[in-house]
Amino acid sequence: MTTLLELPSTREEAWRWADLSALPALAGAAALGGTVAADDLWIGCGGPRLLFVDGAYQAEASVPGPIVVGPVAGGTDHALGRLAAGAAGWTLALGREAAAAGTIEVVHVGTGGASHVPARIELGEGAQASIVESFHGAGWANRLTLIALAAEARVMRAVRIGQTDGFVSLRDEAEVGRGASLVTTLLAAGGADSRLDATLVAAGEGAFVEHGGVLLARGQQRHDLAAVVRHAAEGGSSRQVWRAVADDRATVGLAARVEVARNAQRTDGEQSLRGLLLKRSASVNLKPELEIFADDVKCAHGATVGELDRQALFYLASRGLPPAVAQALLTRAFVADALGRIGEERVREAFQDEAARWLGEMA
Amino acid sequence: MLTISDLHAEIDGKAILNGLSLAVGAGEVHAIMGPNGAGKSTLGYVLAGRPGYEVTAGSVAFNGADLLDMAPHERAAAGLFLGFQYPVEIPGVSNLQFLREALNAQRRGRGEEPLSGAAFLKLARGQADALGFDPEMLKRPVNVGFSGGEKKRAEMVQMGIMGPKLAILDETDSGLDIDALRAVGDGINRIMRAPDKAVLLITHYQRLLDYVRPDHVHVLAGGRIVRSGGPELALELEREGYGAIAA
Repeated sequence: MTTLLELPSTREEAWRWADLSALPALAGAAALGGTVAADDLWIGCGGPRLLFVDGAYQAEASVPGPIVVGPVAGGTDHALGRLAAGAAGWTLALGREAAAAGTIEVVHVGTGGASHVPARIELGEGAQASIVESFHGAGWANRLTLIALAAEARVMRAVRIGQTDGFVSLRDEAEVGRGASLVTTLLAAGGADSRLDATLVAAGEGAFVEHGGVLLARGQQRHDLAAVVRHAAEGGSSRQVWRAVADDRATVGLAARVEVARNAQRTDGEQSLRGLLLKRSASVNLKPELEIFADDVKCAHGATVGELDRQALFYLASRGLPPAVAQALLTRAFVADALGRIGEERVREAFQDEAARWLGEMA
Repeated sequence: MLTISDLHAEIDGKAILNGLSLAVGAGEVHAIMGPNGAGKSTLGYVLAGRPGYEVTAGSVAFNGADLLDMAPHERAAAGLFLGFQYPVEIPGVSNLQFLREALNAQRRGRGEEPLSGAAFLKLARGQADALGFDPEMLKRPVNVGFSGGEKKRAEMVQMGIMGPKLAILDETDSGLDIDALRAVGDGINRIMRAPDKAVLLITHYQRLLDYVRPDHVHVLAGGRIVRSGGPELALELEREGYGAIAA
């Protein structure tokens, strides 16, 4: 089978750090398929759960609850997101004041090849949902997530990229209504490369958008974030807290933008991008951007890349910690605040454990 | 316990220690005094193995082992403790988490069983109480937001938890008020005054020696011990200044 895949070029500013060179081969490859043991992949939140293997819904392993599986409404012109638009996926639509019973878990397992799955999260006024998504296995997992939150609706979303191999590309597009809140926390702690795209709009007055996480990379791995938070109405607030850790010859790019429209007075934005290099051969590229057209705006921002504090390493060693343990302890501290925002304790601990496991594997 | 022979060390090619020799026996407290720039802190760092401090000649034996051949964490496991003049702040790492991992790493290094969470907590609380250090502060990040006095008390709590054989205390008295000085002095005596332990006190001033009485006092100048004596030497230094004695 020949697959014609149109991909953006690194000449385009938003894709300058992207390395999509592995995608044509993955798109042309077939999944291995076979039986997938997914029992150990659930965090076990007791709520609805969905399992997708190579992009195909596994009804017998799923408990969909209020989620509808099938064609997903809406599209995008995003270069990778549009590949998933129109395909079969999942939709969570909750009416006014409704709440999903328990945290919803969506697990994606790949066995090779490419899979494209869209999702739609649409919450009525005052509705609430907590969602955790995990990516495991290999291959190219390409996902489009469209989110629309009516006034006072709240979504907590946690995404972990634990694929051991391959590529994960995520495109999020969100409209957050008046007084509504969207909190997204990502963790990349596997062996796959990733491209994480998001355009999140604080569309209603007093909307809250938080988008952050931890990207860990070693070997030749690459993670590449391109996130935009747009304030389109008055009194909104946003928080982008990203931590990148790069070891060996790995590269992490964090491009995060805050846009404040002319009428979005009293916006309160915070952006913190920090990179940690565990070896001199690794790279972290930061591109913090603020584009502010309103005049009554507070936007705190900071961007730094550095190495572990040598004084701290010696202090820990002088108390008996071997170098690898001291390094892991300081690196865990470096990423801790970015994962601390995950609301549900069980999920937060699972994410922190996964990050600690990655750090524990440091040479 | 500790035998330093003709030790030479440099930082960035600049010689700081120039043939320092010193023997510290079990059960002894030695004070090392000297003017700024004499090499006092360098001696502490060289003994603890700080990267960047290069030993160019000489030897150090610690309970029969070659100290200079060990990595910093191995020296800690062997029973050496350096009390820092400026304890390092480590955001995001709690004292309890750090100290438990450190103590258990030392115990594993010595082939001992790691301490359980409950046993460790009891030990840590006991040491904090004995030092007049609020045990609640042990839950906070290492040294972050601590006052100068709190940092020094925290160093002594760490020493109490680790239970070293040899403590090298680098200006542990600096930045302390009278009450804190007494608490720290009492701590040193309680933790380290034992027939199988020893202390090397690095200090500018006599005042800590009012609480921790040294058996031997040495004057360090120009990277060497230029004079040694009993406790009366510290009083003489206080009276006459380093200039007269180190000349």
